[in-house]
Amino acid sequence: MGDKVTASGTAHDLLRRSRNVDGGYGPRPGAPSEPEPTALTAIALDDDAARAWLVSNQRNDGSFGLVDGFVRDEAATAIAALALAAGHVQERALDHLEALEAERVPFSEAIPQDGSITGWPWTDDTFGWVEPTSRATLALKRFRPGSPRIEQGVALLRDRRSVGGGWNYGNRLVLGEELPPFAHTTAIAVLALHGLDDDLEREGSERLRSLWREERDGPISLALSRAAFTAVGDDDEVRAVERALDDVVHGSDLLADTVTAAWIAIVTGDGLRRILP
Amino acid sequence: MTGVDHHDQAGPADPGRRRFLKAAGLGVAIGVGSSVALRLGGVIGDDGTTPWDPDDFPPPGDARVAVLRASSYDRGLESTVADGLRAIGADVRGARVVLKPNLVEYDPGVPINTDPRLVAATSVALRRLGASSVTVAEAPGHRRDLQYVATRSGLLEALGDVDTPFIDLNTEPIRRVPLRTRYTPLTELWLPEALVEADVVISMPKMKTHHWAHVTLSLKNCFGCLPGRVYGWPKNVLHWVGIENSILDIATAVRPRYAIVDGIVGMEGNGPISGTAVDAGLLVFGDDVVATDTIASTLMGFDPESIPYLAEAGRFLGQLDRDRIADDGEGPDAVAMSFERAPTAETGGRTG
Repeated sequence: MGDKVTASGTAHDLLRRSRNVDGGYGPRPGAPSEPEPTALTAIALDDDAARAWLVSNQRNDGSFGLVDGFVRDEAATAIAALALAAGHVQERALDHLEALEAERVPFSEAIPQDGSITGWPWTDDTFGWVEPTSRATLALKRFRPGSPRIEQGVALLRDRRSVGGGWNYGNRLVLGEELPPFAHTTAIAVLALHGLDDDLEREGSERLRSLWREERDGPISLALSRAAFTAVGDDDEVRAVERALDDVVHGSDLLADTVTAAWIAIVTGDGLRRILP
Repeated sequence: MTGVDHHDQAGPADPGRRRFLKAAGLGVAIGVGSSVALRLGGVIGDDGTTPWDPDDFPPPGDARVAVLRASSYDRGLESTVADGLRAIGADVRGARVVLKPNLVEYDPGVPINTDPRLVAATSVALRRLGASSVTVAEAPGHRRDLQYVATRSGLLEALGDVDTPFIDLNTEPIRRVPLRTRYTPLTELWLPEALVEADVVISMPKMKTHHWAHVTLSLKNCFGCLPGRVYGWPKNVLHWVGIENSILDIATAVRPRYAIVDGIVGMEGNGPISGTAVDAGLLVFGDDVVATDTIASTLMGFDPESIPYLAEAGRFLGQLDRDRIADDGEGPDAVAMSFERAPTAETGGRTG
């Protein structure tokens, strides 16, 4: 009988296969290196070669992204800021993050959201969403705790939470329909809120207790849920999620997704120390 | 080698780009997203030009569509699909085929996605018809945790049963593809190589109403070809430049060769994720995505010419004229349905 397959073992195997000779990591094995999987893996494995790849692939304005044309993706900048060693490159990433504002959209009956709040977008010059806002809030909380933008991140999360708690990608109500929360986005919002807003964090983590059980087929949802429960100090939930994570990863190739593998490696290793203050 | 492409330093400081998005944002565009006003021929064509090159898009020719009855997902579906593909003259012999279903979200009891049993049956049918390989590929727009949606919806299990691989288009290597039309200012799309290199792409939407795009069928289904790691979750930039404009630019870039619409159980009302089931009992096959959507929307009880992006697509991309669409099978007039419209911003959330 062989050794038990663990989520951690599967994730590390996938990360090894996703590593390229340039030191970076692709979004799947055999794919060219990209900022997001490289930054997450740098955090997970404390990988200096991955950090070096990031340094050599920073955009002129301090951001990190995959493409740069009319569409200019931004989501990797916060993760890269968390991954980088202290210094000029990291400071430029944080500068960019502090300056980056999503577009505001006025309140409407169709989409009743506070149009005065700005957050962080997935791509330049578009609306703000839960996941990129949570990532940016995490990075600023870790390295620029006095940044006034942190409160904007919290305000966006407060405004966008689903009825009954938790978060989806960022719409609470659309055309009169209450949109339900997801485990994945709720977990990363709880991580971002940890230490910033106790009530919101508590409400989110309470909702997450049922959400991750409903979505236990999702490895990235489970990995981030484990991170959130670690942050809030709920050891019972951490153990329960970890068992579920091992179960779901057993016999799975994680759809060959390096980002999923990196999050699993972060939460089952000591990577969370590099994300949370 | 790097996957990073900073080919164009036009970024947030680019005044033209910012101006467009600012203007678009006034109308816009959130989440499941509303759209800016459709900038179709009426605007772009005011100066006598069209948003496409006539040399690239000759006038649409005759099309073939087959509407077949299928009462359930359980029995004989492979044969029905094979019959439908034969009826439209689909030739997949030796072809590497990519099936693009509509996999959006999982909500038990709500028919959001193309049914996995139909996707699996189609894979079997295509191989029987001589396809050299069949792959199913998707990049859902709401959920980053694709394994959750693909597992819980039953898609991974159904594909495993028929030995068909699934590709996550969110992690597939991407390629810059210049746009062939100019409905948005995007100028290019980043498309997964699996789609670019396929011999045949088949769009397999669910028959649904959509609260921003009227209906979501073969053309709208192409949104799910774009990787979230470039466009986000949701792919909000596509909303900012106009959902209907984006549908046209994306569909012309992806160029699905055939379409199969899952209307065995469709969705009416607040689609694409919050509507209610309609037991339509139909499959719609087509060798032209515009013609397929024309017939499918007619079956749903809508006038295709009242759906702006579909009417526009009929100018250059495919056949909108019912007289030039050969109807095989039941034909669109054999089944009279009246799907409840989706609510829109104009109706303040009320359906009807």
